[in-house]
Amino acid sequence: MAKVSVLNVAVLENPCPFHSPFRFEISFECNEALADDLEWKIIYVGSAESEEFDQILDSVLVGPVPAGRHMFVFQADAPNPSLIPETDAVGVTVVLITCTYHGQEFIRVGYYVNNEYPNPELRENPPQKPDFSQLQRNILTSNPRVTRFHINWDNNTDRLEAIENHDPALGCGFPLSCTPIKGLGLPGCIPGLLPENSMDCI
Amino acid sequence: MKLLKPTWVNHNGKPIFSVDIHPDGTKFATGGQACVNCVRWSNSGMYLASGGDDKLIMVWKRATYIGPSTVFGSSGKLANVEQWRCVSILRSHSGDVMDVAWSPHDAWLASCSVDNTVVIWNAVKFPEILATLRGHSGLVKGLTWDPVGKYIASQADDRSLKVWRTLDWQLETSITKPFDECGGTTHVLRLSWSPDGHYLVSAHAMNNSGPTAQIIEREGWKTNMDFVGHRKAVTVVKFNPKIFKKKQKNGSSAKPSCPYCCCAVGSKDRSLSVWLTCLKRPLVVIHELFDKSIMDISWTLNGLGILVCSMDGSVAFLDFSQDELGDPLSEEEKSRIHQSTYGKSLAIMTETQLSTAVIENPEMLKYQRRQQQQQLDQKGSAARETGSATSVAGVVNGESLEDIRKNLLKKQVETRTADGRRRITPLCIAQLDTGDFSTAFFNSIPLSGSLAGTMLTSHSSPQLLPLDSSTPVPFGTSKPSTEPVAATGTRPAGDSVSKDSVNAASAPAAPSPSILTTPSKIEPMKAFDSRFTERSKATPGAPALAGLTPTAMESHGCLCLCRLKEQSLVKELRPRDVLESSSDSDEKVPVAKPSSLSKRKLELEVETVEKKKKGRPRKDSRLMPMSLSVQSPAALTAEKDAVCLSVPAAALKLPMPGPQRAFTLQVSSDPSMYIEVENEVTAVGGLKLSRLKCSREGKEWETVLTSRILTAAGSCDVVCVACEKRMLSVFSTCGRRLLPPILLPSPISTLHCTGSYVMALTATATLSVWDVHRQIVVVKEESLHSILAGSDMTVSQILLTQHGIPVMNLSDGKAYCFNPSLSAWNLVSDKQDSLAQCADFRSSLPPQDAMLCSGPLAIVQGRASTSSGRQAARLFSVPHMVQQETTLAYLESQVAAALTLRSSHEYRHWLLLYVRYLVNEGFEYRLREICKDLLGPVHSSTGSQWESTVVGLRKRDLLKELLPVIGQNLRFQRLFTECQEQLDILRDK
Repeated sequence: MAKVSVLNVAVLENPCPFHSPFRFEISFECNEALADDLEWKIIYVGSAESEEFDQILDSVLVGPVPAGRHMFVFQADAPNPSLIPETDAVGVTVVLITCTYHGQEFIRVGYYVNNEYPNPELRENPPQKPDFSQLQRNILTSNPRVTRFHINWDNNTDRLEAIENHDPALGCGFPLSCTPIKGLGLPGCIPGLLPENSMDCI
Repeated sequence: MKLLKPTWVNHNGKPIFSVDIHPDGTKFATGGQACVNCVRWSNSGMYLASGGDDKLIMVWKRATYIGPSTVFGSSGKLANVEQWRCVSILRSHSGDVMDVAWSPHDAWLASCSVDNTVVIWNAVKFPEILATLRGHSGLVKGLTWDPVGKYIASQADDRSLKVWRTLDWQLETSITKPFDECGGTTHVLRLSWSPDGHYLVSAHAMNNSGPTAQIIEREGWKTNMDFVGHRKAVTVVKFNPKIFKKKQKNGSSAKPSCPYCCCAVGSKDRSLSVWLTCLKRPLVVIHELFDKSIMDISWTLNGLGILVCSMDGSVAFLDFSQDELGDPLSEEEKSRIHQSTYGKSLAIMTETQLSTAVIENPEMLKYQRRQQQQQLDQKGSAARETGSATSVAGVVNGESLEDIRKNLLKKQVETRTADGRRRITPLCIAQLDTGDFSTAFFNSIPLSGSLAGTMLTSHSSPQLLPLDSSTPVPFGTSKPSTEPVAATGTRPAGDSVSKDSVNAASAPAAPSPSILTTPSKIEPMKAFDSRFTERSKATPGAPALAGLTPTAMESHGCLCLCRLKEQSLVKELRPRDVLESSSDSDEKVPVAKPSSLSKRKLELEVETVEKKKKGRPRKDSRLMPMSLSVQSPAALTAEKDAVCLSVPAAALKLPMPGPQRAFTLQVSSDPSMYIEVENEVTAVGGLKLSRLKCSREGKEWETVLTSRILTAAGSCDVVCVACEKRMLSVFSTCGRRLLPPILLPSPISTLHCTGSYVMALTATATLSVWDVHRQIVVVKEESLHSILAGSDMTVSQILLTQHGIPVMNLSDGKAYCFNPSLSAWNLVSDKQDSLAQCADFRSSLPPQDAMLCSGPLAIVQGRASTSSGRQAARLFSVPHMVQQETTLAYLESQVAAALTLRSSHEYRHWLLLYVRYLVNEGFEYRLREICKDLLGPVHSSTGSQWESTVVGLRKRDLLKELLPVIGQNLRFQRLFTECQEQLDILRDK
């Protein structure tokens, strides 16, 4: 059972010029206080062809995270245009928001991003070299693609302790629960004896 | 009988292992997909327990506040009508959990596992384990409770069925004969106990090499009968919760026949048979109901419907009529049967019984009405909250959520960690719900209105069986319909709801439009697909992954909750192409272990440790007025070094503090207050003095004394020190001497201060308590002989309450307090007290866990004595009469002890509990006496000895508080009325 579930990601200021920062308002719920911070990352996919062109726009730590619902705004600078292949600058690509706990990724939210020239002229006749200052970025907010991964939320050592902790309770449960027998005779007699007794009461 | 196979109930073709209908008949849960083996609603319907292959039992509770109705990213194709949150994860089993079962009245939860054990959990206090039942030598695959709670039975692959007593959790009997020929061939062995308690019916048994369901009689555990006819092993048996009697034919004067039970049997042969215990042959057998083995069966609470699930991933619903099964007995009649057979019934006074009582008094009637109205209001407001979810603006600290969202970026706290990384402190917008409605306002998040819409549909008139929509509602009652089904179409399109789903909802019959009508040019590209679902490789920001190790999967998240009444809607929605937009990865992905601890993490840990340290003293200071924990460690040491002055022969001798050069004592941490003592400070002319220094929140004072200080104590009001030569000096908080030194009768052993009270326990075991402000003696040189004499007991803990009552905890577990007005020692607590262990007043506990009542009594008795779960274990096993007596005696002694300790808070708590118990159990005389005392004389007379207050509480206020409790039992309506009237008279005066 994942301790953290993402309730919603709202894309703020969309659509916007290419050079504007990304802003995501992330709401999530945590059902048990986390010992450590969550790490969120925004990854901009420069080219569908290769992960080489992925840019990690930013990564932040989010914490402390007590049980409850939380929200924060994750802002990251626009991708560096010089790292984007010219052929991929205009058109559809993807931006990913990932979250990891203890270095394990447990959720990945992906959005399609459309970069296009709002100016119809430019759209018809795009310049040879992409003019990023004219590009508009449009994130397809209505269709996030969410993938969740099972991860280990506890340290394994913690888990063992938790199980051991149950044992004392079990140990002391017994002597106590045995005491009433003394007053009622031998344990074996009780089933036969009980209904009669209770009949008397009525 | 009608039969329905709802195709919309499925786990994408994967097996459904378990099905359970909610007690209110509005929904059911299914578990399967090769990870959830069992789902069971608690009898109250409040909780759902699930057991799975991950060795865990998870207990779910409905979340009261409303969040987004859809799972984020699932594009709104399946709206969550309700949210259920896991409230407890129970870990103990070392193998797959096969079955779970709630005991009658939900006191316990039992689980069984392939680790060959059955574990009994305290359902009042998860995750406490009450017992682990060991004895099976094979996989335990089924559990059932005796309806009167005296036994639990388990069936395992070891060819045995074992019955365990709930009295001591020991084996009652092990039945093996009918199972000798069995092989471990079934996935489950779900056995069942008849509602009248007479019969236990096993799953897979063999008789003459034919598969049977063995009937085991409660009387002597005889195995003479069985259900025969299935061609393959029986996997599941489930008794109808109702007991039936023959349908009376109009006009005929038929003699009332014996009540009988009804039982459904499912088998690996894919067929289902339903039996009545009054018939020799099955009532009905349905062959080829499924393609694979039947896995689980659940009856509706009204006994007329039955849900069956199968390994083939489908469920079937059977609807019977009363003509077919008979007239179900009412709960009252059922409990009467229990009462006559087993001497008691679980239901002490059910509501149905109450409703037959005549209300004699208009006040009472008003009161009852008010109560009902309140309940309705609560329900109404809950419904309103859900209904108007969209319009209610979330408010956090008086700020609307919208405002917060606008400024979130500016407002959120962002810091840099030591290694220069950004760290955002998230804004907490809601606590996890604690069961109250307050959090319902934090429904915040861009709420898609679909929830409100679907909620309404769920209450609107159900059309369960499309075959015959005019039939009455098969699943219990439904709330009055206010909205037509079409209401679902009016979902306001929130930003997470796709508009298409609106169309789909309003026109269910229409062919589903393609959902992915995304803005024109954007087409999902194959190349991107893997990017959405593949985990990122280690990126520079993340700690390197140090090798992959598969670890146990935490979740068994393949639970399905279905709304029965929604099916007509959902049915149409479901079969559509499942949008690929969300893919919970089902496969067990190898999980990366966090490698070396990063520096940052270590720092964090230090930080939290520090926080904890800071947190602790605060707690102490709260208890400080009567707590010992911060007292000087030197207080009870060094007996040998002590100089005994005048110890009477054979008299008790308590340890004395030895002389020390210097010591420091923390009196309290909030406000922070220290006492420092320095002995033998050389002053002028070679004289030796002792210096006493006290610092309180930075302010310091000091003073000198002529003899060496042995021990010191302080409170917020006074500081006192005991010196050599039996001198005791008392100072004000500013260091002013309040009294000339008091000469103690013998050397000091222990010194205590609480408020303005100073307690001195001397080495010869005499105790004195003074109130230094009023300058009077509270306890005068009282000897501890009477409580310590005759054995080698020692005083293990000393307590001085805020009212100057000394309490001695002895090493034998007894605790005495000295009652100054009686000038006698009173026993206030005994760890070995058998009353405490037998008493059961669980039913009288207020809804909130008020066991957290703190005070001197709680401190003296420790928390152990209040574990109601353990006490509840006696509910079913001790004769009811004995139970009542012990409970009464226990509660009375608690009330008396709280009174003697003058702990008003605890007195009120226990008095309320006691009265509630008296009301529940119907003890009129005692109740009347209490009311009389609390009320006092209505017409004042001079000779009256009546005190209007008790431990600082006004008695008549207490009575006002008790009246609603008394009013709950109609039996006491006269008492209620009397008190009410007299209180009114008094008020008018």
